[in-house]
Amino acid sequence: MMEILRNMLRRKGRTILTITGITVGIFAFTVMGSMALRFNKIISGGKRYITGQITILPKGTSFEGGSGGGALLPLDVLDRMRKVEGVEAVAASVEIPLEEPDPDNPTGGGFGPSKSIEGMDLDSAYKNRNWETLDMKAGRFIAKADPDNVITVGYTIAADKGIAVGDTMNIRGRDFKVVGIADQTLTGPDNFIFMKITPAREMLLASNPFLQSLKDRADEAAKITDADLALLSPEARKQIISARSFKLEDLTPSAAVSWKDGQDPDEVSNRIKDQLKDDVLVLSPTKLGEQIDKASAIFNAIILGSAVIALVVGGFSIINTMIMSISERKREIGIKKAIGASNRSIAWDYTLEAGAIGIVGGILGMTIGAITALIINNKTAASGAEIFLISPGFLLGVVAFSFVLGVLAGVIPALRAAKLKVVDAIREL
Amino acid sequence: MPKVLISAHNLQKKYTLSKTNTVHALQGVNIEVQEGDFSAIVGPSGCGKSTLLHILGLLDRPDAGAYLLDGIDVMKMKESEANVVRAKKLGFIFQGFNLITTLTAVENVMQAGKYGGMNLKQRKVRAEELLTLMGLQDRMLHKPNELSGGQQQRVAIARALMNKPAIILADEPTGELDSATSMEIIELLKKLNRENNQTFIMVTHNLEVAAACKKTITLKDGKNAE
Repeated sequence: MMEILRNMLRRKGRTILTITGITVGIFAFTVMGSMALRFNKIISGGKRYITGQITILPKGTSFEGGSGGGALLPLDVLDRMRKVEGVEAVAASVEIPLEEPDPDNPTGGGFGPSKSIEGMDLDSAYKNRNWETLDMKAGRFIAKADPDNVITVGYTIAADKGIAVGDTMNIRGRDFKVVGIADQTLTGPDNFIFMKITPAREMLLASNPFLQSLKDRADEAAKITDADLALLSPEARKQIISARSFKLEDLTPSAAVSWKDGQDPDEVSNRIKDQLKDDVLVLSPTKLGEQIDKASAIFNAIILGSAVIALVVGGFSIINTMIMSISERKREIGIKKAIGASNRSIAWDYTLEAGAIGIVGGILGMTIGAITALIINNKTAASGAEIFLISPGFLLGVVAFSFVLGVLAGVIPALRAAKLKVVDAIREL
Repeated sequence: MPKVLISAHNLQKKYTLSKTNTVHALQGVNIEVQEGDFSAIVGPSGCGKSTLLHILGLLDRPDAGAYLLDGIDVMKMKESEANVVRAKKLGFIFQGFNLITTLTAVENVMQAGKYGGMNLKQRKVRAEELLTLMGLQDRMLHKPNELSGGQQQRVAIARALMNKPAIILADEPTGELDSATSMEIIELLKKLNRENNQTFIMVTHNLEVAAACKKTITLKDGKNAE
């Protein structure tokens, strides 16, 4: 080992430059890899949830674009859906941003899932096939029997805002009592606040001027007595009756369907689509899973790409260094062979030296990369947008990769050294 | 009757330098070396002395001929077997000392033990013992560039002796030493030959060194001189 170290230090400048090359490559691998791991974690968590249900969105919207724009599901569609063969339960859901969008920063600018309110239809028998319950860090999940003013808070929101069970949290001007803090999932639910669907619908209504105007009209229409209504023209009467029909429980931006045991979710999705294709967009678990896999593939390509960069940058610099080193040490190889060194022993020495260069560069690159990721994570943690997932397993893997890279890059020069004919090396003496 | 360690007949070796230039380094050399011999291979430059020493030391292979080393047929030996024989039965002393510059004196000597199959402790004990025998007990932790020429050659001799080889091959062992140090080194080798019955074969230009040897093999134009 000492001999390897001494050989590395023979040409300090060259060794430092080689190690720097590997350090840069492994730094990029660590940072890009940690970022991709974070994305993949978010994506896989989302996939697990989304493939455990059939997702129903209003016609004209898309999964990527969300149900934004105030689009809502038609009035009687949930009831019609419940009657489709294979459907176990249908749950309305309301998802709105936790805070009113900032007019000066309407796009937000956060990383990963945005903080949002999840209004849940707890009266429904719906259950997600892959994610029936959330593990709790403290307290409990909201229940059907709870009043409307209780919430369960996601891990990141609770950490960012310093919220504990029993606290009161003000959301969009209303006070809610916190009954539980969810455990960390490293995906969507960390940034959710779970509440019953009624207060979520009320907040959706309050945030949407169009819906609010319908509600105002309904309230005004309700003030008109039936006697007064009878005095109006048929056309006016029709409009007022229509205005009166507006109900809060009709505000359903999206819904989730669970299927009966033994049913194929894709077949159930197709049945819903056949019967309600003019009214809703049906997203089957398989179709959504495929879409998510496509996104995931991009991040896997980032990991692979950064590994390839590290491989090329680091590998070639090691090969170059080792070839130069062997050419300079031809005499020494000759001496060693003359005193009995086997080809294997010579190859082993040089391969280990290349592996040592790889591992030193790897440890440096990994350390600098991990520290960089930690610093950035700490800076962005306040906004709930940690960019990197720093996994000890991945970091160890990175170091192992750098050693393997060194060894592989060293194999060809080492074999050249081993195959050197003693007499040729001796002639250099 | 002493044991025959080397028995080589009609050794031939040619080097093709280019399509039109072939050097016939050995053209049928015969040599026999017995246990306890202290032999010199002499002859003019280019007569094939070093080539013969390389072949005898398994550093190179003859193109034709027969060579038995301590009863083993070298012509049938694989390279991996040659490495083992080189490590255990042969010791080398070179003209330019050829110590590994990054290693200390004791580490240089220990290196031979590593290839000879000794464990670390055995290597250390044996290397220290040999360096003490060479009068270098105070220079063990010095690197080659901190030693004089004579001291470096003593380290090289200690390294050659490390695995208790049957034969030590020396290529101009005094070539880079002044005459006083040269004779000192030759006296040391003679002492090892006398006291331990260690067999030596050395290539030399130096007539004084050749005269100090018990037996002389003279080569001329790649053949034994009559």
